[in-house]
Amino acid sequence: MTNKINLYDVTLRDGSHAISHQLTISQIEHYTKAIDQTGIYAVEVGHGNGLGASSVLVGKSQLSDEVLLKTAKSNLEHTKLGIHVIPGFATIKKDIEKALSWGVDIVRVASHCTEADITERHLGYVREKGKEAYGLLMMSHMASPETLLDEAIKMQTYGAEAIIILDSAGSYLPDDVKERITLLSQNLNVPVGFHAHNNLGLGISNSLVAIEAGAQIIDGATKGFGAGAGNAQLEVLAAVLQKMNYKTNIDLYKLLDTADIVEKDFIKEPITISSLSIVSAIAGVFSGFAKHVKRVAKEFNVDPRDIFMELGRQKVVAGQEDTIIDIALKLQKRI
Amino acid sequence: MFTLTEKDISNLEKLKNKEILITGGSGFIGTWLTQLLIFLNDTYNFNITLYLIARHITSNLEVLVNNRKDIIFIKNDIRNVREFSKDIAYIIHAASSPDNRIYMSNPIESMNIITDGTKNSMENALLLEKLEKIVHLGSGQVYGSLDSHNITENDFGKLNCNSISTIYPEAKRYAETLTNAYRSLYKLPIVQVRPFSFIGPYMSLNKPWAVNSFIRDALKTKNIRILGNGKPVRSYMYPTDMALWILNMLIHGKSGAAYNLGSDMGISLEEVAVKIKNIIGSSLSIEILNMNDHCSEFVPNINYVKQDLGLEIRVDIDDALNKSIKWFEKNLV
Repeated sequence: MTNKINLYDVTLRDGSHAISHQLTISQIEHYTKAIDQTGIYAVEVGHGNGLGASSVLVGKSQLSDEVLLKTAKSNLEHTKLGIHVIPGFATIKKDIEKALSWGVDIVRVASHCTEADITERHLGYVREKGKEAYGLLMMSHMASPETLLDEAIKMQTYGAEAIIILDSAGSYLPDDVKERITLLSQNLNVPVGFHAHNNLGLGISNSLVAIEAGAQIIDGATKGFGAGAGNAQLEVLAAVLQKMNYKTNIDLYKLLDTADIVEKDFIKEPITISSLSIVSAIAGVFSGFAKHVKRVAKEFNVDPRDIFMELGRQKVVAGQEDTIIDIALKLQKRI
Repeated sequence: MFTLTEKDISNLEKLKNKEILITGGSGFIGTWLTQLLIFLNDTYNFNITLYLIARHITSNLEVLVNNRKDIIFIKNDIRNVREFSKDIAYIIHAASSPDNRIYMSNPIESMNIITDGTKNSMENALLLEKLEKIVHLGSGQVYGSLDSHNITENDFGKLNCNSISTIYPEAKRYAETLTNAYRSLYKLPIVQVRPFSFIGPYMSLNKPWAVNSFIRDALKTKNIRILGNGKPVRSYMYPTDMALWILNMLIHGKSGAAYNLGSDMGISLEEVAVKIKNIIGSSLSIEILNMNDHCSEFVPNINYVKQDLGLEIRVDIDDALNKSIKWFEKNLV
């Protein structure tokens, strides 16, 4: 097998979380024009929770999916356009069919790490339309490696052409990544990928561990612009891989220029590993909860760290954001 | 659709004026067997009465059955059928789907259809006074993890019963062993038939198998994407050969014997894609993504079938792809 690694850019999707899904047309235009020149395999665009997710529950997008995707596509010639799809938020007829007509090349169908069954129809539809279909297992730290393999096999059987495991809470230690990626890459017929979050400062190193364990697709975001503490910082990852002689097809200077656009146009405050991000990783809770937790904690005058720890105890997953208020209320009464 | 020789007809003579039952009658294999039996009735006056049991009738089968008096369609789950028609002489037990997606999404029910469905079929068969033979359609997958272009009926690889990938082959192995237990204990005349891979009309292009996906993508998007290096080797049998072989195995197969059902002409996935491109035209592109270096081979040895039953492959892969693509071009929705 070659040592070729496909880098997949989630800046304009996972990064939506960081700015409460308020991407503008001009930001998308600038970014996609620049990323298209870098040699990156694909760029994912959309609401942080994916296609069709804009809602009061998880946050309203400033732009519709149609505007987001058409704007991106009109600036992409070399880099493929990807979307994140969670069945339930996105339906085939209402959302995916239209997204494909707007020029989407890759559909990454995601489920909670133990619920791959819900992806069958979506993956099948995308394959039937001749587009690239990936299966994504979110919050993958919540399942044992063996369970992850079972769920990955299901997605592969449904037609997924790659399986990506997401460290949605940024809680993996290197050995956790090694164990899971090794098991998956040894037992699947399709490429395995890894999506890191940087809550414990391990985004880059965990991605390297994944590559050494057999991963061929690595997600990242320029400047690490993603939910919570952000993702593996893409330009850093590209530089490290270049130094390690992996083939990524990336023009590093151009990628660095693209990252500068993010720093200048997107980031209102520096992306750091906040205390809350560390707590969320220890609690094993989705990074995207951070903004909601902070807001609710302030409103109810409770310690946001306590909310995260309780969310972790209740094993909540994305889509259960309303639990935050419930927990805050209980904590408030206890106070 | 069928071109039969005088020898073929003579080999099938025993079916004349008999009642035949096919369980799982609406599947790909059931539909082709129905087509062949209709052909024998209409062209050679075989006067066969055909019973088909299935949970639903497909539109393809509905067209074939079309108020014919010689075909009785029984809409039922094989696990719930309490009695077979008393004059049935031959049974082809084909109930179960090889579609792995169904096994992944609904594993317990899927296994149960094979295990309980097979048991119920055998129990009902015990009551048939005119029974001459049963074909139990197993699967080439019962051979487990064999990686070979020459799999004989006596080769067995490993099956990891702790993996969800083995739901179908484990259930099929169980069913084969179960039917052999009925043969041993009750002397039911049972022939084991192990199907490999096929390509032809009535197949769903939505099935998660390489050649199906290639044809679908070629016809719909003009682009065939091969994830790996294109080197894995498989073989494909055309269904006219398949149906004729099954009927011969039903009549002439030895009780207790197992026969491979498939083509022994191995071909790499890349070669299949190139052949499809040659048929469809130069507008088709083939992408080999090289994301893995798998080179597995899964091709049956059919020497025993040839020697014991005198059967042969008549439709080669080029002809099979040509005929299939022509049909799919007309029928692909």
